[in-house]
Amino acid sequence: MERVSAVMTSRIVASAIPATLAVLGTLIANMPVSFLGGIVPPPLLGLMPIYFWCLLRPDIMPPFWAFAVGLLEDLLSGGPPGVWAVAFIVTYAAIDRQRESFAGLAGFAAIVGFATAAAIACAAAYLVVALYYWRFPPLAPVMVELATTVLFYLPAAVLLGWIQRRIVGPSRGDF
Amino acid sequence: MANGTWRNARIRGGYQLPLAVLFVLAVAIVLIGKAQSSLFDRARAHVTDWIAPELAWAHRPFDWVSGWWADLGEAYSVYRENVRLKEENARLRQWQTAAVALEARVKRYQLLLHAVPDPALSTVLAKVIGRARRPFMETMILDAGRSSGVKPGEAVVDARGMIGRIFLAGDHTSWVIPLSDLSSRVPVIIEPSHARAILAGDNAKAPSLESLAQGATIAAGDQVLSSGDGGILPPGLPIGTVVAGGEGFRVALLADPALSQDVQVVEFKKPVEQPPQPSAGDLPISAAGLPPASAPAAQSLGAAASPAPAQPPNAVKAPPQQAAPGGTAPGDELDDQ
Repeated sequence: MERVSAVMTSRIVASAIPATLAVLGTLIANMPVSFLGGIVPPPLLGLMPIYFWCLLRPDIMPPFWAFAVGLLEDLLSGGPPGVWAVAFIVTYAAIDRQRESFAGLAGFAAIVGFATAAAIACAAAYLVVALYYWRFPPLAPVMVELATTVLFYLPAAVLLGWIQRRIVGPSRGDF
Repeated sequence: MANGTWRNARIRGGYQLPLAVLFVLAVAIVLIGKAQSSLFDRARAHVTDWIAPELAWAHRPFDWVSGWWADLGEAYSVYRENVRLKEENARLRQWQTAAVALEARVKRYQLLLHAVPDPALSTVLAKVIGRARRPFMETMILDAGRSSGVKPGEAVVDARGMIGRIFLAGDHTSWVIPLSDLSSRVPVIIEPSHARAILAGDNAKAPSLESLAQGATIAAGDQVLSSGDGGILPPGLPIGTVVAGGEGFRVALLADPALSQDVQVVEFKKPVEQPPQPSAGDLPISAAGLPPASAPAAQSLGAAASPAPAQPPNAVKAPPQQAAPGGTAPGDELDDQ
């Protein structure tokens, strides 16, 4: 009985890890401090766990978390409300539709896969902001944000993979 | 990494409806935010107020590293920069002498002409405790909020010039929207041509000049100041210099939000002119030489003139000073001025 209870607890904790990491990543990325005087924008750290576990374990990373993390990003970044919520939901829908294609990628191709997802998020946010202000904002800051996000995904993917293998993965059920 | 071996077919297709619902919800939030963003702004202000002490503490090492990084970049040009600054300093001293003399002359002319003096400005000194640069928005967070008298809309300046405006004020913190931000619009005047325009941010480093008056002639190097149109910002705050940029003109800003550490929030309140309270003699019926107004009419006048307890019918004949006991009649204030 105790063993069953421990297994259940471990599963609950493990299933909360992806969403917790996404929220934590968003909080860290939106800390209003910068090492380089604001030259380089912070990456979309919240998108990384969403992409990663949307592919591997959509049962523990449902669309609600993409919406909630997007909303948190909006709240903390200071921009118009709802922009990143729309962007993350659109990205989630794109990954959801092309899950087989994305999940089959490995190595460098997997990075390209994430870059595609991040590009979808940035493009969606750009379009929403353009409609919001009824004018096209400059493209360069969005491209820099995209590049920074993809660069940061290289170490992040290693970390997320380790967490998946060591903590989240072993606790999965019959999924 | 993902290897495609997971059995995710069970999930595929099952999220279509939740995704559609959440998408509609997110779009609704965008639209609500466009129409009325106060709810979101209040939440932001609360979050910033909550983390303000930790933020001020966490910002210090980042400032140090950021300053060190900037110093490293400038180390190579320090000698050349020093020579240039010495020359500039000598020129500025001459200008300072001229400015002091001109200031005294302007004051003398204002006295002679009985000119209405500029409204006094009070400032709140604040420290930058946060800075964020996102693709669609650049913000600064200050350690002064409503409790220090900071209000949304007020100008934020540093020693060089105007940085931006307060767009969100919490109890102990406030957010600054810089002049270069996509949503920033500030009425400006360009000297020496006195041309008026709108300084419109578009997330580029140098915001553009829009809505220039027809026939206005401006040139690169002209000075750009706040015009004070609209009565929200004080006139004459230095902003930058005109530079030619592509199709139109842009403004090279004097202040750099990325480097500002201590700033001033300028409180500017144009005194609202109060119309004198009407007396019985001002009423058309009395002015026409007809008998005084009847009781119901007088009561309704009393209710309109003062939200205080209902006045007796004869209150309408009382002078305005007595209509507001304990206070100064607005008409008197105007007379005093």
